[in-house]
This record gives sequence, C-alpha cells and structure tokens, in this order.
Amino acid sequence: MSAHATATAGPLRDAARELVDIGLTIQQAAAHATAALTDDTLLRALPHAPSAGQAAYSALLRAVTNGQGLGYAFTGGRLGTLAGKLGAMAGAESLAVRVVATSLRLRIAAVAADHPELTDDPMIDRLIRAAAADRDLEAVRALRTLFRDRGAVRALSQLAPVFGEVLALRALLDENPLNDAAAWLIATGKGYATADPITGMSNRAVAALDKGEGAARRTTLTAAESAQLCKQGSLLGFLRDISAIGTTGRAILQSVEGPDGVVRHVLQAPGMRAGRPDSDSPQDLLGAFSSAVLASSPYSRALARAVDDYGLPQGAELALIGHSAGGAAIMNLAQDAGFCSRYTVTHAVAVGSPVDFKRPADPRTWVACVTNQHDIIPTLDGQGAGVCFDLHPDWYVVDYYDSTHLFPLCHSIDHYVANLADDLVEAREHIDERLGPYRGRVVRSQAYLLSDRPPRPEGFPFLTVATHPVDSPAGAVDLPIRCHDGSALTACFAADPAAADRLLEGTGFGPAVRLAGRALVTVHTCCNRRTSMGGYREMHLGIVVPDPWRRRSLGVWPDLLRGADRRRAGSFLIGSVVDSEAVASMAPRLWGGEPHQATLEFGLSARSARVAVGAPGERLLTLRGLLGPGLPVRDRDLVGYSRADAADPALRSSVRVRGRARAHPLPLLRLAVDPRSAHPLAHRLRELGLNGARPLLCLSATGRQTLRDAAVAVPVPSWRSHAH
Amino acid sequence: MPTDPTAITARAEALHSDARQLAACADRLRHVETTLAAGGVAPPWLREAVNAYLTACTTAAADLDKAAARLWHYAEGAR
Repeated sequence: MSAHATATAGPLRDAARELVDIGLTIQQAAAHATAALTDDTLLRALPHAPSAGQAAYSALLRAVTNGQGLGYAFTGGRLGTLAGKLGAMAGAESLAVRVVATSLRLRIAAVAADHPELTDDPMIDRLIRAAAADRDLEAVRALRTLFRDRGAVRALSQLAPVFGEVLALRALLDENPLNDAAAWLIATGKGYATADPITGMSNRAVAALDKGEGAARRTTLTAAESAQLCKQGSLLGFLRDISAIGTTGRAILQSVEGPDGVVRHVLQAPGMRAGRPDSDSPQDLLGAFSSAVLASSPYSRALARAVDDYGLPQGAELALIGHSAGGAAIMNLAQDAGFCSRYTVTHAVAVGSPVDFKRPADPRTWVACVTNQHDIIPTLDGQGAGVCFDLHPDWYVVDYYDSTHLFPLCHSIDHYVANLADDLVEAREHIDERLGPYRGRVVRSQAYLLSDRPPRPEGFPFLTVATHPVDSPAGAVDLPIRCHDGSALTACFAADPAAADRLLEGTGFGPAVRLAGRALVTVHTCCNRRTSMGGYREMHLGIVVPDPWRRRSLGVWPDLLRGADRRRAGSFLIGSVVDSEAVASMAPRLWGGEPHQATLEFGLSARSARVAVGAPGERLLTLRGLLGPGLPVRDRDLVGYSRADAADPALRSSVRVRGRARAHPLPLLRLAVDPRSAHPLAHRLRELGLNGARPLLCLSATGRQTLRDAAVAVPVPSWRSHAH
Repeated sequence: MPTDPTAITARAEALHSDARQLAACADRLRHVETTLAAGGVAPPWLREAVNAYLTACTTAAADLDKAAARLWHYAEGAR
C-alpha cells in the first residue's frame, strides 16, 4: 500500500467515523421526538390543555416528518418502529440514514484509495456508483453484468474489500424494512450483522437451526497425517497442522514443552467442512454460520468437550488457533467465562475468520486476527476492509491485501500459511514472539472427531441389550451375538412329507407343517457382515414344525408370522453350515448340534441370489437364480428347534431380526445338490426331494440387524411319528 | 386521570438538548467537508451532500426547539 493511498484513506475513514457519530446523534434526537409523540403521559394531559397539547403534537409530528429536517424519522418503541418500517417500504428516508449512508460511501472511497483496481475496473466502479447513488435498477444491472462477465465467485472476491459496505448501503437505501437493522449495525459498527443485508432474513434465526450440545471423540490420525504434524510449536507449525487434518470434522490438541520447561497446550481448529449444509459435524455450513453470529455454537461446545477430555489440569495454559469457522469457534471458547475459569486461555489466533464482535472473557487473553481483504468469509459479520472503527484496539490485527488469488483460494489455510511464511514476515514473527511460551517440542498430539451431539450408540435401540459372557473353545464370548449389518435369504420349499416325518421321528417335534400335502422346509442363509463375533456366514436347513404342545392346531400359519417372543412354531434344524470356526465351536450353545464348517458363498441383490456351500472342488450345494417380483415386508424373526438325540433335551433358539425385507412369491431360484457330495446334509436334501427343486416363496433382506442368544432347553416330550 | 407535567417537561428538555446537539452537528459536518477538501481527498459529491445535511440539521434543530417550547407550554397548561 502506497503512502499516498494511506494519506488519502486515513482522513476518509476519520470522516466516515465522524459521520457515523453525527448520524447516531441525529438518530437519538429522532428517537426522543418519536418517544414524546407516543408517550401516554402527553395523551392523558390532553383534556387539561387541549389547545396547547394539539400545538405540541403538531410540532412533534412536524419534527419527525419534515423532509427538510429530520426526514421521515420515526424510530424506537413499537409504534415508532412500525411507522419507521412502513415509511421505509414507501421509500421515505430519515436524515440519520442519509448521513450514515454517506459514511458508507466515504468508507468505500477509502477502500478504493487503498485498492485503486476497484474503481479502475469499470464494472465494479459502475456497481459502486449505482449503489451509492441509490439507483436500484442500475445497481442490479451492474451486479448482473459483473456476475455474467466474471462469474459469481470471482465477482464476489473482487468486491470483497467493499462487500459489506455495498450491501449495507443498498440495504439502508432500499425499500425493504427487514434489512435496515442489519445495515445500520454494519454502518455504525455497533454489532454483527443480525440479518442478511439483502433479504433481511434473521441471521440468528438461521443460526438457531444449528443445534446440539457438541461432542468430541478421540480419533487416530493416519500415519501420513501424523507425519505432517509439527514437531516444534510455532504459528506456521500449528496452521500447517490444521492444513494436515483438513476440513474433515476433526480438531487437534497438542502439548508443547515450552522453553521454560512448562508444558502448555494448543487447540487447533480447522474451518468449514465441505458437504451437506447441515450434517452431524459442527464444521458444516450452518456450524460456520452459527459460530460466526452466536456467542456459543455446537462447534465451540464440541471443542470444549475435546479439551475437557484431553485431561488438562485446572488452570492449564492453553493457546487457541483457528482458521475460518474454526477461528470463530475458538473465539467463542475464549469468550466463554466458564471455559476460561477452567483453563487459562493465554492466546487466541484467528485466521480468515469473522470475529470482529467476539470478546475474550479473560482480558489477559492475547488475540491476533489475520485476514486477507479479498477473503469474503471474515466479512460475514459485516465488517471488512472498509471498517472505520477501531473495534478492538488491544488486538493484533493483520488485515492485508493479496490479490494474487481470489476467493475461495485466498481463503484456504494453505494460502494463509504461504502469505504468513513469505509475505507477512514481520507479522508472523510478532505473533511467534507472543507465542513464545508455546515454541518448544511437541510432546503429545491427540485428534478429535467432532459432532453436533454425542453419537447415538450404533444399533440403538435394537442392539442396545445386556450381554453376558460365556466360555467357548475360542475364549470368552459375549452373548447375544449382535449383528449390526447383515443380509439374508430364506427359501421355503415343498418337500416329501414322509421323508420329513422320518427325519423328525423321535425328536418330539412334528409332524411337519403341510402345504397342499407337502412338507414345508426352509433353507435359511445369511451373511452377518459385522457382528460382535466378527463377520461370518451361516446356512440352516429346517423342517417347519408346529407348536410342540399343540401339534394339530390350525393356528400354525398365523403363529409363524409372530415375533420370536410369542412364536411356538419353528424350524426343526436338520443341518447347518457356518464358515467361522469360532461360531462353529459355539453352535451347540447357540442352536444345538454340530454344524458343518465349510466355505459359504452368499450373494444377494434386489434381483437375484446366489448361495454356494463348500469350496469349488468340494461343492455341497448351490441355490441360485432370479428372485422374481418382490413385495416389501418386515423381516421376520427366526425360531429354530433341535435335538441331537432322544435322550438329549430339546433346544429352542431364536434370532431377533430388525429390518426391511422383500417377499418373492414367484422365485426362479433352483436348489442343486452336488451329485458327488456324500455329506449328510446333501443326503438329507436328496431324501427330502429338494435336489433340483424351486422354492415356493423367498424372503430376502439386504440390510438387517440381528440378535442371537444361546438356545434354551425346552421340555418337549419324545414323540414317535404316526402315519399322517 | 392524573397528569404528570414533569414527564412532559422532561421530554421538552430532552428535545431542547437534542436541538443544541443538532446545531452542533451542522458545524461538525462543515468541519468534515472542509478538512477533506483542504487535504485534497474530498470526493466530488461530498460538498453537495454535506451542504444538504447541515441545512437539514439546522432545520431539524429549529423543529425540535419549537416542539420543546410547545411541550413546555403544554406542561404549564396541564398543571
């Protein structure tokens, strides 16, 4: 910036500040006149001196509506505000607004003196002139031309140094009364923009959509990320850490052994995460917005929880470093009196962040603020390069100008790092000097994954159940087995009833449930992709049997549709296959019997299914084909019975299922038993007449959760089959 | 219904004080313009704008003074 530019811009900013002060004085006079006009006391006195009262009212009304004086100047109080808004809609202006608008024009002129390229550019100059002259149509046309010629992002970036002023100027002078308050705040520097200066939509209302108490979970960085973390504390080191972890919903805490041997701590908070505007991460767009305009946000609360979890002693010294939304969030932490009573926030460094109206709770906190004037993000609170107020004289403010890269590139942490490393050496050295106690060896680093609220336990509530350990050959196992993600296919076949009854003989179960005189047999295959016992696949062959105590009841069909807790009918298991040794060793406790342990392939899509039991050279069976049309249904629980021998107790096992499934009434699958297989399961399938059979009905579920607990002994009496 | 002339008087005094401040604002506005003009940095549109505002400030100060005077008179009558 040249000396001439500074000599020009300085007096213009001083004049702008003086005009704001004059505008506020005029506004106060208007407020007093409005208050007098709407004062009940004056009205109550009217009967006592009607003539003098009418004259007073007439003079007051004249004072707040005289176009040659205060202008249309109703302001303050409910009636005054309403009248003011109605006047704004009609295009009426007050003297105070006109004076403050001129202050904004002077601010734009000051920025233009610093940035001659703004007024050298005919398109931007046309826009600024139209906005300043209250020529709405021309301003809109100029903005449209600029956007068409440069693209929205480039146009906004070029406008960034005067973005807040142009928006505020337009808002003050347009006929929309909703954006006037925000424009007034921007123009007078009395607070952050409470509303969108274009539409008047309340920023607080938008920010309030970002809800959550904030949560932080420890997370492990990848080896590549860890390798990039700084080993020695410094401003660039901490900012590079932020770059290393990226905008991935994480933050990092480090402990540094200072030159005096004292270990202090540094919280590093990245900016907004790309993706959905409102995700579970507090670093989403809404989170960035709420961090900027609210005193506390899910992001800052999540950071506080990370610091609490990190295990710092009471009063531990802490430096806060943040970029973009992270800078606003760390400033929210710095202004949180509760947080500052637990820890000593010694430094807060915000880079590319909208933090003009943040105030640290502890006056000893040293604050540094670094912003590129072409970066739009720091202007989101309404104050940018044109600001004429010294909003925080005790802060170290680096408001620089680098037009080599426009927004969004100029907002990136890497660009700020490059600027601080190469172009802002003096500023960097000053900040590093102030960060002296943190300029030592990094002795601990811990990353945190942040979220708006504590994450719901996986599988809640279905899989949130009490568990109990049981011994198994593979070691202690917690039951029930909780499957977080699985898929399943149940194929129902019509089998030889005599063969089915033979297989049930002496078990106490049966006779097999009949459908059109045929025995109902199921082949249930499932892939438990993620369970408390790891991933495994299983297949069960079962004969559907009724309630062991009411064998001839007609209620078997509705009973089969009940949940496992009330179902009496079930599948008597005559063969099982699993591909996991650990599960196989648990099988006697889980459903009874010794399963065959073999390779089990299972593929299921919305259209087809493929099951193959046994390795290619030792294939036992395959079940594959098209599933046919499907109807959406709720996935069903499974109930299985087993009895190894007549002398053994009968066991009842159940699998509780949660998820959606599809019923396929016309499946085109076919079961094929390998002719060379001498396995008992293959023999049983042949015996039941199922080799080459198509199922009557299939139930497929591509995503489900299950709970499988230990089987329970049931006192089913032995029973011998009779001709049926 | 009882009346409170002191409340009306207080309003009048506030307006009278505002009138004095607005008159001072006219001087401040003039000073802003002359300072910038002397430094050679005044935008070309500033003089016209400031002249309009300082005239408006003077008029507004007169309006407020008049309103204050009438409020005092009103307060007297309401006693």
